[in-house]
Amino acid sequence: MTERAGSRLERVLAAGHFAVTVELGPPRGPNAAAVRRKAELLSGVADAYNVTDNPTALLRMSSIAGAKLLLEAGLEPVMQMTVRDRNRIALQSDLLGASALGIKNCLCLSGDHQQASASGKLNGHPGAKHVYDVDSIQLLAILKGLGEQVQESGDPIAEPARFFIGAAWSPLAPPEAFRVLRLAKKVAAGADFIQTQAVYDVPRFAAQVAKAREMGLCDQTAILAGIIVPRSTRMLQYLNEKVPGVEVPEETIRRLRAAVNPASEGKKIAQELIEAVRVIPGIRGVHLQAIENEEVLPEIISAADLLPRPVLNIGA
Amino acid sequence: MEPRTEMTREDLQSGFKPEIILLYCRRCVEEEADLFIAAKATSRFAAKLVMMPCTSKVEESHLLKLLAEGADGVQVVGCPYQQCQRLLGNLQAERRIEHARGYLREIGLGAERLGMERGLHFSGLQLLLLAEKRAHAVRPLGPNPMKGERIP
Amino acid sequence: MIIAEWKPLSELTAKLRGHKKILLVGCATCVAECAAGGEKEVETLAPLLRMALHKEGHPAEVVTRTLERQCEWEFVEELAPLIPQVDAVLSIACGIGIQAVAERYSEVPVYPGVNTTALAIREEPGLWLARCQACGDCGLGETFGICPVARCAKSLQNGPCGGTRKDGKCEVDENLECVWYQIVKRAEARGQLDKLLEFRPAKNWSNSLHGGPKRVLREDLRP
Repeated sequence: MTERAGSRLERVLAAGHFAVTVELGPPRGPNAAAVRRKAELLSGVADAYNVTDNPTALLRMSSIAGAKLLLEAGLEPVMQMTVRDRNRIALQSDLLGASALGIKNCLCLSGDHQQASASGKLNGHPGAKHVYDVDSIQLLAILKGLGEQVQESGDPIAEPARFFIGAAWSPLAPPEAFRVLRLAKKVAAGADFIQTQAVYDVPRFAAQVAKAREMGLCDQTAILAGIIVPRSTRMLQYLNEKVPGVEVPEETIRRLRAAVNPASEGKKIAQELIEAVRVIPGIRGVHLQAIENEEVLPEIISAADLLPRPVLNIGA
Repeated sequence: MEPRTEMTREDLQSGFKPEIILLYCRRCVEEEADLFIAAKATSRFAAKLVMMPCTSKVEESHLLKLLAEGADGVQVVGCPYQQCQRLLGNLQAERRIEHARGYLREIGLGAERLGMERGLHFSGLQLLLLAEKRAHAVRPLGPNPMKGERIP
Repeated sequence: MIIAEWKPLSELTAKLRGHKKILLVGCATCVAECAAGGEKEVETLAPLLRMALHKEGHPAEVVTRTLERQCEWEFVEELAPLIPQVDAVLSIACGIGIQAVAERYSEVPVYPGVNTTALAIREEPGLWLARCQACGDCGLGETFGICPVARCAKSLQNGPCGGTRKDGKCEVDENLECVWYQIVKRAEARGQLDKLLEFRPAKNWSNSLHGGPKRVLREDLRP
């Protein structure tokens, strides 16, 4: 497979290593130092760092800015891009800009609907007009096109904008039978790597991955299993009941409920999940999320025997 | 604001005598009902009994017009749940009444000015008592501000 | 049909206070079908408005009229004798009807009494569901007769996002079924699931509002 963008993540995977990516939420304000602090905290623990794009439609610093700040701090970003807020013009323009700034990985997402922003204590932006000019799969095709020097319209761009293109996969959301087909669609549209929705039910996840393997998808794309570090029973229950596509086995909830120190037990659970998905054929890495709790990631990754991250001979 | 359920001295002293229009389904009353009983004066409220073919025929616009024309309260009387001659008619009437009550609440006139009761074999006196029930609910709300308004 | 719903009564009285005689005009077509602006609703709103305005200290007379269709000039013309008698009009037709009345009778303020919201079907008594978004590029042939533009919260074109709940409902509105789930089910029932594997490229939105306010000129129908 010819190299797409030459990102560190791409090269780590190409070299056959089990990749590690972690998620980083940008701050809810314009404070660059907040990004640098997180970068310092997480330096060296992952091959690439996802910068979210206004998740749950609540305002944060833009992912392109967050990604650039990470680059300056010496980390490789995965810029997350939703199609909720930007039309094809803005998306492609941001992608040209991102490429110019040295951002090489991009994860293409539908994005949470703006109604989601009104569910907590904040006002959010439920009255906003969303865009959804293109969907996430059309965005994948757009990125692929930009890498071939062509825009969505068919017009050329001055030079190719190359990205290592990512997509999300939620294998356990209904209709389950269709989810592997949806993955196939994403791969065909241009997805080089996949980060999945959080896994807790390993056997069910593994069954879907097996189907993907049967379809040859694991040869065409690198699937990284998503893992969210649980902090409390309430969090696990919330994930299980309120977050579509996340299935938490009853025994995991029971285990956390019975724990003397749930936060500590949660880290252990995360570590065990990493080890469990690592042995699933077709899984080429993990994508770790510890929402607003990123400080726990280094020890979990270390405990899962994934440190140090590989040193690549080619300049990353 | 919750309506007071007990008459205060002010109520008695204000002399407010609620005018209640009671719309009853013809099938709820016993044959021998004395429907002229309402014509007899009562000291605490006045009732006008109006027969309808069925509560399923009651529209929100009818009820609201009666209130806009100055009635202090409107009581709808229909058959028990499973016994409407139009099957679910009296259930739908209840839903419409609840909807109209919501609007009365919204404009600050008081949801309690409108309500529904059910039963069979009512005598004239019993209908009068149902009108009194509505009058009692209406009393804390005071007279309908629309009284005396010229209707174009 | 076009569906609409009443504005809050406080919003209406805020606009109407100060007017002495108001013409409340309804429409017997779409908004009557969705129980928002037909004759019944006109006769329900009129006493409510009178009572509400009176209570706020701004009593007004409300006269009523329901037109067959407020989006046809010949019916709008029927209001002509009434307009000189009133100082405001409140229309509970859809936005099209309200504007037709406003355009024909520009001498009086014409206020909307409803918010027009969607193109919908009455699925059951008392339940209306949006079905069409007037996108101008109908793809119903590719989605087994079920429209994801109008019925998916994100108007996705290539299948469901990860937000389909366990019970098949949409994460944005738990009362709504994930429409892509419905499309997949229908495709499966027809044995044509592979049709949904086809990549659907970015939609051309220019034949709708996104291309500019819609204007249709038919030379064959001109006078």
